[in-house]
Amino acid sequence: MSEPMIMIDAVSKTYHLKSRPEPVRALDNVSNHVDSGEVVVVIGPSGSGKSTLLRSLNGLQEVDSGKIVIDGVEVTDKKTDINKLRAKVGMVFQHFNLFQHKTALENIVMPQVIVAKRTREEAEEIANDLLAKVGIPDRGNNYPSMLSGGQQQRVAIARSLAMKPKVMLFDEATSALDPETVGGVLELMRQLAADGMTMAVVTHEMGFAREAADRVIFMDEGRVIEENTPNNFFDNPQSDRAQDFLRQIL
Amino acid sequence: MDSIIDKIGIVQALWPSLVKGLWMTFQISILAILLGSILGFCLGVAKTLGYFVLEKLINGYLHLLRGSPYLVQLYIIFFVLPSLGISWLQFDGYTAAVVSLSLYTSSYVTEIVASAIFAVPNGQSEAARSVGMTRSQTYRYVVIPQALKLTIPPMASVYVIVIKSTAVLSVIGISELTRQGEVAIMRMPGDIMFIYCLIALFYFLYCYPVLRFSKWAEGKFGSVGDVDH
Ligand SMILES: Nc1ncnc2c1ncn2[C@@H]1O[C@H](COP(=O)(O)OP(=O)(O)OP(=O)(O)O)[C@@H](O)[C@H]1O
Ligand SMILES: [Mg+2]
Repeated sequence: MSEPMIMIDAVSKTYHLKSRPEPVRALDNVSNHVDSGEVVVVIGPSGSGKSTLLRSLNGLQEVDSGKIVIDGVEVTDKKTDINKLRAKVGMVFQHFNLFQHKTALENIVMPQVIVAKRTREEAEEIANDLLAKVGIPDRGNNYPSMLSGGQQQRVAIARSLAMKPKVMLFDEATSALDPETVGGVLELMRQLAADGMTMAVVTHEMGFAREAADRVIFMDEGRVIEENTPNNFFDNPQSDRAQDFLRQIL
Repeated sequence: MDSIIDKIGIVQALWPSLVKGLWMTFQISILAILLGSILGFCLGVAKTLGYFVLEKLINGYLHLLRGSPYLVQLYIIFFVLPSLGISWLQFDGYTAAVVSLSLYTSSYVTEIVASAIFAVPNGQSEAARSVGMTRSQTYRYVVIPQALKLTIPPMASVYVIVIKSTAVLSVIGISELTRQGEVAIMRMPGDIMFIYCLIALFYFLYCYPVLRFSKWAEGKFGSVGDVDH
């Protein structure tokens, strides 16, 4: 048995906001792991800590305690070169977050040149290949504002892939999309999964979870409540809270 | 008919000194805009870095400059500082004018740059950090280029304010446009109204293109809000 790609060990995070009387325990002693090539879907009600968990995986969110290791590198260790690690961990956001002042192609080229130190020619070649791969080969010269949500999200995925990541994190990547463009982006994610990418996916798309996930993690109030194969989880949820949740959304 | 010929005569007589005055106004305002913008840009960026003490210091600087009239600042720099007896603070009029006006400009530019940086959505830096850019790379390649676009319209309004503020410099004897006009009025006191209108026209000719540019830029780049003055 090789090491898991992602190892999460007893991670906790509490948010303190002056404007809120009660601190919020967003992650409560969460432990888990994701194997290489595995696709894990994280679901749970709003505010259950899904985003916090995902963002802690690439160090975008610091945690209070516990340990996270990705591909043998400890994310939670202050001495780790977090920028080097982040290049290996792609992150796709709900609102795409394309660089607004750059064309689609430049969005994919810039991080390669700055972070991966590739030459411009090499970076452009990779970017053009990726634009073709995500299904918008002729959109390279468009600025984000000229692209549909679905197209922007494809560019964002290509931007992450250009760094040749070992892991891809998706935080509600299709939640902000028009219904007719959701399918295409999900299809792209399925294709990535089929190509063997290790993925952690937060989504409300239960169809995707059922078909593409190797494992479903159900969270509530900062804790992992249930963990199961997709079929078992949807057809025969064990916990009351998962049953409630599924009844509400299905 | 006579009076028109009269006025043309006045314009001809005053033309060289008014052009000299405009040139001085132009020089000092451009220098102040340049130096003030550089200083303001640096302070504006520094203000957003999240260092508590630095931010408080910069805020103190801004309150000092924006909470007092420019004329008083000019007096302090020209009359008071030299009396401290520190040799590098002994400014001649020209230097005092440029220094005080640059500081004044920087106080506006700092606020504009800082609020433009804050106006760039957080997701932009998060995306940049997520692909592995360092904090400074994120600023340099993602945040600042987008922020600068937002600063163009308010910056143009500040530049117009600075240009007009140079009129105050006549009080320390700088021969800028207003001062040249005052000298002309001493020569031709009967034409005071006409000469002041002429001066206003000169200022207008300088400011109007900047204002037009500001309007155009506002349409093109949007704005991060008006400057208060
Ligand atoms: N930066 C923050 N500062 C303070 N509180 C936060 C912050 N981010 C999240 N929280 C709080 O932590 C809890 C978990 O938030 P999180 O965003 O991780 O939930 P989520 O499962 O992703 O929810 P959603 O489905 O709505 O995206 C919530 O109560 C939220 O209000
Ligand atoms: Mg979330």
